[in-house]
Amino acid sequence: MMLDRLFAPTPDGQSRPALHGAARIGIGGPVGSGKTALIEQLLPMLQARGISVAVITNDLVTAEDAERLRRSGIIDPARVLAVEAGACPHTVIREDPTLNLLAADELDERFPDVELVIIESGGDNLASTFSLDLVDWWIFVIDVAGGGDIPRKRGPGVLQCDLLVVNKIDLAPHVGVDLAQMLAEAEAVRDGRPIIGTNCRSGFHIDAVAEAIARAVLVER
Amino acid sequence: MTGHLHHHHHHAEHAHSHDGGAGHAITVTTIIGSRIDPMLSRWLHDIQHHGQVETISLETRDMARRRLRAITDHGTECMIALPRTECLYDGAVLLMEDRRAIVVRVSQENWLRLRPVTAADALSLGYAAGNLHWRVRFTGGDLEIALEEPADTYLARIADLIERGRVVVVTPKARAA
Repeated sequence: MMLDRLFAPTPDGQSRPALHGAARIGIGGPVGSGKTALIEQLLPMLQARGISVAVITNDLVTAEDAERLRRSGIIDPARVLAVEAGACPHTVIREDPTLNLLAADELDERFPDVELVIIESGGDNLASTFSLDLVDWWIFVIDVAGGGDIPRKRGPGVLQCDLLVVNKIDLAPHVGVDLAQMLAEAEAVRDGRPIIGTNCRSGFHIDAVAEAIARAVLVER
Repeated sequence: MTGHLHHHHHHAEHAHSHDGGAGHAITVTTIIGSRIDPMLSRWLHDIQHHGQVETISLETRDMARRRLRAITDHGTECMIALPRTECLYDGAVLLMEDRRAIVVRVSQENWLRLRPVTAADALSLGYAAGNLHWRVRFTGGDLEIALEEPADTYLARIADLIERGRVVVVTPKARAA
């Protein structure tokens, strides 16, 4: 079997080989931190780069986030699947991601051109993390209004994610948060791994997030 | 050079150098095989003498990724994009050329080994480890925790059990104090 694989003919003459299936990334974070807003900002930006995207949303007992995206007009509604996570949103992205794996496989099958599947977790707490069996790379979204002390609490989500997005940076002066200190503390607990401060309402720094995604999971243009 | 080596031109198909030159990014879309496979191990041995075998060191947690960038110990950037059905492993050969090969190595994993004194203590420790989603294995009556953060971070979560002598730190000893 190994020989078959070794000497299989080259599928085409491209200098860059076609990659198998779509890359899968996760976006997790507490309720209200801006996960769906981030996706709403990212979609047009990724599409503008010519990257074909599909989305899986995880809600507790509804398809609220999926409906929001389907109605947004920024993505073909058929490319948005909803997984109902039940009472434990972290379980379906970590301990038993079967439902999400099946949904991602379904998207691969229905839309062979899809290069990137974004899996949005249900809003959870700071302990929520993605299994790397489900996604290749993941983002954790926290927000300034949730409290400047969030990084100091060393939640596994904040510590282990590949990219930490600190959203709603425009609100810092209104909620008494020292943004510079919050970002410095986040950097310290993450040993210098990447952090991006965003404003998902205005679109500030979303380009940097899109760039980080494209680079990390090899869908660069 | 012996006859079998000319096959290398064929397997280079699976890992594409973007411009064919050394030191540039390589895209890997499948694992060629294991370095302990008899044929591959012979080839690797030859390359070691006539070229270079480069190593990518990955931590255990990163082995589950299907898409990632990694740099070999010789500075070659690898863009790895595997099908969902394939998974990296220690000794996976990602590239085989006439004078160059790339092999994956898993970085040494460190374990925190804890010994509960009684069955009741073992229950408490097991509950804590499960509740905190630690990755563990069992060695005899001991519980070992895969260290993804410094050992002190884990010990701080069970400080009560440690301080009361209900659980003893077996290794690493230096952390026991």
